[in-house]
Amino acid sequence: MILLGMNHQSAPIEVRERMAVDDPGPLLQKLVDSDDIEEAALFSTCNRVEVLVLTHSLESARHRLSTFFSRDLARDGQLIDFNLEEVTYEYHDGDAVSHVLRVASALDSMVVGESQILGQTKDAYRAAVECGACGPILGRLFQHAFSTAKRVKTETRIAERPVSVARVAVDLAKQIFERFEEKRAVLIGAGEMGETALRTLKKHGLESIRIANRTPERAAALAAQFGATAHGLDELDTLIADADVVITSIGGAEPILTLDLATRAMRNRRLRPLFVIDIGVPRNADPAIDAIDNLYRYDLDDLGAVANKNAEQRAREAERGMAIIVEEQQRFDGWFAALRAVPTIRHLRDRAEGIRSRELEKTLARLELSDVELTAVDALTKSIVNKILHAPVSRLKREAEREEGIAYLETVRVLFELDEELDQE
Amino acid sequence: MTIQILQWTAAVYLAAGLVAGLGLALDTHRFERASVALLALGAVFHAASFGLLHLAENPPPITDLREAWSFMAWVGTVFYLIMLRRSRLQRLVALVAPAAFLGAFLAALRPPGGAPVESATGSWPHAHVLLSSAGFSLLGLAGLAGVIFLIEHAQLKSKKTLDRRFPVPSLEALDRVNAVALAVGFLLLTLGVITGVIWLQTAKGRPWSGSAHEVWSLVAWAIYGALVYGRFVAKQGSRQLAASAVGGFAFLLFVVVGMEFIS
Repeated sequence: MILLGMNHQSAPIEVRERMAVDDPGPLLQKLVDSDDIEEAALFSTCNRVEVLVLTHSLESARHRLSTFFSRDLARDGQLIDFNLEEVTYEYHDGDAVSHVLRVASALDSMVVGESQILGQTKDAYRAAVECGACGPILGRLFQHAFSTAKRVKTETRIAERPVSVARVAVDLAKQIFERFEEKRAVLIGAGEMGETALRTLKKHGLESIRIANRTPERAAALAAQFGATAHGLDELDTLIADADVVITSIGGAEPILTLDLATRAMRNRRLRPLFVIDIGVPRNADPAIDAIDNLYRYDLDDLGAVANKNAEQRAREAERGMAIIVEEQQRFDGWFAALRAVPTIRHLRDRAEGIRSRELEKTLARLELSDVELTAVDALTKSIVNKILHAPVSRLKREAEREEGIAYLETVRVLFELDEELDQE
Repeated sequence: MTIQILQWTAAVYLAAGLVAGLGLALDTHRFERASVALLALGAVFHAASFGLLHLAENPPPITDLREAWSFMAWVGTVFYLIMLRRSRLQRLVALVAPAAFLGAFLAALRPPGGAPVESATGSWPHAHVLLSSAGFSLLGLAGLAGVIFLIEHAQLKSKKTLDRRFPVPSLEALDRVNAVALAVGFLLLTLGVITGVIWLQTAKGRPWSGSAHEVWSLVAWAIYGALVYGRFVAKQGSRQLAASAVGGFAFLLFVVVGMEFIS
């Protein structure tokens, strides 16, 4: 098994975006059509492009994957102008399995613990199955990855704390307000981060939104997106007095939400709680407004500090997640290794069956038995063979899951001369 | 029979507290529904014990502080269960259930009844104690909501993240608990004062004896009157109201419990 890929850590976005794949089906079919590759799957998200293949010929498959990246994946047939080895990583066998489990469990994500990657992994699996590139072994690996991801999510607190500034702001707002449906928000400025914060709040139920900006056209354009109303900065007094959440994201050297403005607004709103999310750089809200009762101001640094603390917590949880990955990788490796025993067991059974049927034929030629007796003798010999083989076959299956199992397989092949028999064939 | 039901009540409250505590320890929401259901079951048993008490002696006197605690615990539990319908307060079961358990457990320690307070016979003393206890219980809850509010407020102001293992309701939910408990609690306290005056009039022929308990009770009632004015008329901010609820209850506690020990 080989995995060749690039992610947010190994390759810059300019490289990753040139390798992004919308429809993996035709590319995967092309891969499995080659003699060296038995099964294949392809992950393509904004943070990673990875190809996982099952092969019986390691070197040929490596070469094929390298050309696959440099020729087939390169968008619009553009030739790549970078050294592929510098921006990619390659994992084999157990390491590849471990990597797939880490990816599905969001332990290899840019934001550790994020929830989208599992869905993207399922999409990759579905695409590989639909085009016939995913066989029983990679299929089993994907199923194992899904259950591992579920284990990591339920047995650790990895996805619990938000690590994006917008989500942290929503979490804080939930500590202040019981529900957002009847709350009013004002976005001052039309900065991208303010927009993101507003979108996240809207997703959590905030409905009444007003947007105030220096440029009325920009405010109107943004208001149309959010189903909000557009206002000028001269209306701030009224807007803030009427709002529950104020998001500031506007340019300018001086704070726009001054102590005077905030004091007036709080007086007019009879000290009802006000949550100020200041995402402007430099800050749009004067830190002096912290002295006002029932007003809660968080600037980018405050939100970032909470996010970082949450990220540290996630990193600690990721270590617990990795312990689960190691355990699950060993389980899969065991299952995968046990597959090595299958040809030997089949040869052993064929050998025994050959001896049985030949010896039975010789014996029966000398006897005159009725049909009932023939059936009984046939069943008896089959039963004897099965009973003799039962213990060694079971042991072989068990031992094959371990690293040392290969010695048992070789011993059986020598003792029963299975390879000689193959040569004769 | 009443004692047995009170014992069952205490056991069910304890179970509710343990299940809620387990949910907090394991940091999962899975046990919330079970803990609330157990608390509600405890409240039903508790109500049944009062019903039996009422049937046994009509009306039964609440002769000591333990029985009063038991009644207050029941009122507080029922109020909390009602507030649960509108606010995300589920995890407070871990606080409410142990308090309810304590109330029921103390009452279950010995048979109800006993020697009534001098002149405490008839319906007026009964109504006075019941109404005052219920009011005290709700004003206590307002104070508790105020304490949690102030802690959460301080942490938000200082920009410290709250420990998620001990999640608290939103400031808005706590403020709502504070408002409703204050309004209903003050109403019950007022009715308690009125029935107390009538009781005195009936028993002693005058509505006012000038005892320290009466004086301080009236002061406490006036303080709560000011708090109600501050909230519903002057529309003070929620932080100030939370602090007032804590201060008001501390004073009421002094009047009810402190005066008991002093006297």
